[in-house]
Amino acid sequence: MSRRIAPHRIVLWTVVALIYAFMLVPIAITATVSFNAVDRSYFPPRGFSLHWWAMAMSPQWTGPFLFSLKLAALSAIATAILGLPLGLALRRPAFAGRGVLLALIMGPLVLPSLVTGIALLQFLTIAGVGDWLGLPALIIGHVIICLPFMVRTLSVSLESIPRNAEIAAASLGASRLVVLREVTLPLARSGAGAGMIFAFISSFDDINLALFVARPGQQPLTVQIMQFLEYGFSPTLAALSILSLLVPLALVAVFGRLVGIGSFIYQDHGHA
Amino acid sequence: MPDPALELRGLTKRYGAGVVVGPIDLTVQPGEFVTLLGPSGCGKTTTLNMIAGFVAPDAGSVHLAGRHVETLPPFRRDLGVVFQDYALFPHRTVAENIGFGLRMRRIARQEVARRVDEAMQMVRLDGLGDRRPGQLSGGQRQRVALARALVIRPSLLLLDEPLSNLDLKLREEMRIEISTLQRRLGIATVFVTHDQDEALTMSDRIAVMQGGSIEQIGAAREIYEAPASAFVATFIGTTNLVRGTVASATGGTLLLTTTAGPARIAGPGHYPAGAAARIVIRPERMKLAKPPEVPACATAWPAQVIRLIYLGGRTEIHLRLQDGSTAVSYVVNEGSIRWREGDTVAAWFRPEDAWLLPS
Repeated sequence: MSRRIAPHRIVLWTVVALIYAFMLVPIAITATVSFNAVDRSYFPPRGFSLHWWAMAMSPQWTGPFLFSLKLAALSAIATAILGLPLGLALRRPAFAGRGVLLALIMGPLVLPSLVTGIALLQFLTIAGVGDWLGLPALIIGHVIICLPFMVRTLSVSLESIPRNAEIAAASLGASRLVVLREVTLPLARSGAGAGMIFAFISSFDDINLALFVARPGQQPLTVQIMQFLEYGFSPTLAALSILSLLVPLALVAVFGRLVGIGSFIYQDHGHA
Repeated sequence: MPDPALELRGLTKRYGAGVVVGPIDLTVQPGEFVTLLGPSGCGKTTTLNMIAGFVAPDAGSVHLAGRHVETLPPFRRDLGVVFQDYALFPHRTVAENIGFGLRMRRIARQEVARRVDEAMQMVRLDGLGDRRPGQLSGGQRQRVALARALVIRPSLLLLDEPLSNLDLKLREEMRIEISTLQRRLGIATVFVTHDQDEALTMSDRIAVMQGGSIEQIGAAREIYEAPASAFVATFIGTTNLVRGTVASATGGTLLLTTTAGPARIAGPGHYPAGAAARIVIRPERMKLAKPPEVPACATAWPAQVIRLIYLGGRTEIHLRLQDGSTAVSYVVNEGSIRWREGDTVAAWFRPEDAWLLPS
């Protein structure tokens, strides 16, 4: 008996393949362009050279690259530190100002980050702390942008805690602080991890806000690329793009394994 | 005499819109199993939450083994609580779940391990210590919850509808298992349920609750055979309730007139002639016969058989009385049933088999 593939399967796989192609082919083209032997972004590449990769790893670029990584890591941590108490507070069904608090946290979701950036720049200047521009301002801005994701993912985690688990812990002799440490926080870990990864990536990707609050010497990679682009596209940028794709991806993979975030993203909580 | 394990005095909780639970007065003796039984919204869970300290009472006192506790937070009350949804910690193993309360008490590691093992044997979970709650069946989770509550040797065990999430067969097994364990450990227990079978099976005493207060406290037999109110009479088991008026009271026997016919009751309580009352006759005490077979002193009402329902061990016979109201009689299935739908019969009961409630 010959195995025939059902027509709807063929359609399905075709659509899936097209979607993957749509997402991956541009990346593949960028990757190949970075190996051009000439100072033009030809595709297919002409000749083969690692020259542009060497350029991409020169101090001119590693500086902003490391700065972006530091910024993203600090933003993710700050978002978690601020997001945890907010997430815990928002679990309470009703308290005065809950609606306002929620609107304030979620606001940046619907606001273009460009606007947030301009507002932050003006605010810091008016407030007389213009010298915060650079890393501190960037962290503040990115926390504002990332907080909605953190609070959302955290609340999903917190809602999955069995209704009476914390009360049960209290009845077994755990004070409120111990309940938090032994039950609530461990069970909120995957949500916090997912929120931190979202925060890390958003921060690493951001240019809209960074354009306004970065300062020379404290510029993320995105802003540096933007400025470089004013003089034309070079295969160096193609190499940089691939690098800036791989590093966060690797980090996410490692970090995700550590906090068991996979189960969070794939909707399988692994416990009842 | 030792202090009662639990003593509630005037315990009250007010919610908005005039909803009040209490005042509740209840005493649980050491080793006693007391059930709070009632429909949802009767205040039984609120009462349990006030005992455990999860809900702060507005008035009244809670004493645990003679100790004032209503101002203590839950973690200082030294209670074992088992919840309807088990409330296990999903991120911890079975052994860690059970050992949690011991760890909170800063008991040495080896002692914790020893007592956890002992507790797991007690609830027949040996060898499952390394599993996570997610890998267990409902019955096993319930056992973990029970072991976790018992291992701290609490002064009082609180069970909040612990069997409601289990299927029928398992529920019946767990009833026996929990009450056997409770008796063996001799631990005072307050059990909250809406299921009268659970209450009857497990309890030393039952407190029937309705509308935020206790209607009656007593042993199962007392609650069933001498209900204090029409609510208790109808909530536990099935009841024939017939309204009547006292015609005469001579000695211990009352004669009543009802629309179903005259009745003779050997009831307790003082009912003057002319008083309105309700007669409570349990279906298994409502017998059927041909009119000449009825014993002399019994009350017999003419009735028509309208339905026979075969229920395995017994047959439920639905009757229409002469005033048009319906009544139920249970007949044990030990031979063939004499009656057919449409038969005219005498529904009879002895004076001592009925109970009287004020109207």
